[in-house]
Amino acid sequence: MSVNEKFSAIRKGLLEFLVLQIVAADKVYVADILKQLSATEFATQEGTLYPLLSKMRREGLLDYEWKESENGPPRKYYTLTAKGREQLRETLEYWGQINGTVKKLGQK
Amino acid sequence: MNKVITINLGGTAYQLEEGGYDALRAYLEAAAARLQGNPDRDEILSDIEGAIGEKFRALLASYKTVVAEKEVAAVLAEMGPIEADTGEARTGNAGGPGTSAGASASGTGEKQAAGGAGIPRRLYRIHEGAMIAGVCNGLGAYLNLDPTFVRLAFVLLTIFWGTGLLVYIVMAIVVPEARSPEEKAAASGNPSTAQEFIRRAKEGYYEAMKGFPDRVASREWKRRFKRDVRAHANQWRYNWHSYWAKHASTHPGMGFTLPMLSLLQGAVTIAWMCALISLLSTGAVFGMSLPANVPVWAAALLLFIAYGILAGPLKAARRLCYWNLGRPRWTWSFVFLLDAAVWLTVAAVLFWLAVHFFPELRVAIQSLPAVAHDAADDIRTWWKGR
Repeated sequence: MSVNEKFSAIRKGLLEFLVLQIVAADKVYVADILKQLSATEFATQEGTLYPLLSKMRREGLLDYEWKESENGPPRKYYTLTAKGREQLRETLEYWGQINGTVKKLGQK
Repeated sequence: MNKVITINLGGTAYQLEEGGYDALRAYLEAAAARLQGNPDRDEILSDIEGAIGEKFRALLASYKTVVAEKEVAAVLAEMGPIEADTGEARTGNAGGPGTSAGASASGTGEKQAAGGAGIPRRLYRIHEGAMIAGVCNGLGAYLNLDPTFVRLAFVLLTIFWGTGLLVYIVMAIVVPEARSPEEKAAASGNPSTAQEFIRRAKEGYYEAMKGFPDRVASREWKRRFKRDVRAHANQWRYNWHSYWAKHASTHPGMGFTLPMLSLLQGAVTIAWMCALISLLSTGAVFGMSLPANVPVWAAALLLFIAYGILAGPLKAARRLCYWNLGRPRWTWSFVFLLDAAVWLTVAAVLFWLAVHFFPELRVAIQSLPAVAHDAADDIRTWWKGR
């Protein structure tokens, strides 16, 4: 089992965290999110992202608004709610702790 | 030949090859099954349909209105399988293919009402079906004219006035090329989606095309004919130039002389055109009426000859300058640019002065676009009414 495979579950779990971060930076629609992720280890597809986004919205982390696009039908642009912002802050803090632990452990 | 099926994704009609339709249907059915029990199932499905539609739209253009089976497969692969999120309690996830697919991916032959309204038209160069850079093609689309007429107009302008070519080159540089499907649609003012295909099919647009007995053969014949003509013209031009070059020597003053010659030739041409127009409309040339026993056609012929006598040596001298200044063959274009830049500048200054000091001219120029549009309309009605 390669490292890549071993981390697939972790990547999946982290995706939500990354989406929060992307949405926090700017109003985005799905193609924007996919594009930002595509260059990273977390490259994903619509088939994964749409269900995740709808779950996050149901949990009150995200909200969206319809916006006209220049060509084609209107698009959903996602924004962070106050709850989402709070969650992002907590997650970042927790992530920092985990990082520290990974680096520290086993060193004497 | 493949059967084509029209579907509705997010309110827009798309035409898919039958195999592609089957693949899409299977994908959406699987998605619906995976999302069984998800409270947002319908919303996610409609999002997915919208995303697929957006990808299809990027593949289509005004000349390509059907999504091929392979393309559908590629789009679906890009979408990836639907992954129900992990924290979700999924009930009845083995829903099977019996569940209805996305609510709006409805059956065969469904047709969208004609969109008709059109989109704002813009001037672009169109590469598909172009002869050189697509200028005439784009102009034709913009004026809603057959591009052959526009080409003819340019050729006539070049022969009788010498400016057609220059206008063409300037436009080839200045006018942007229609690259994206949106731009291609804007070039002709037609929506690029399947709606347009359907509308045209309804109007029997494609029936006329079928009437041509053997299109492939006739196209091949045309292509060959054009190539032969081009080869002949090139050979002739080459012989001509080399003859002149042998009988003349290069002179540094030519760089200055050339634009002046061009300007002079332009002036002669304009004078000739004015004379011809006044002859045909009033029967007099610059106030001098014709003697009673001279018919108008004879006078016109005389004007042609006079023009030839005046412009012929100018043309020959210009060609000489070209041939001698552009000694390695590839520097020709630089000579051409220099020539064009200088005489265009002088002409522009003269034009500006004329417009500045004669308000009538300004009014006439301002009404030009309307006149051109009317003329284009007339030609179009004539063409349709045949």
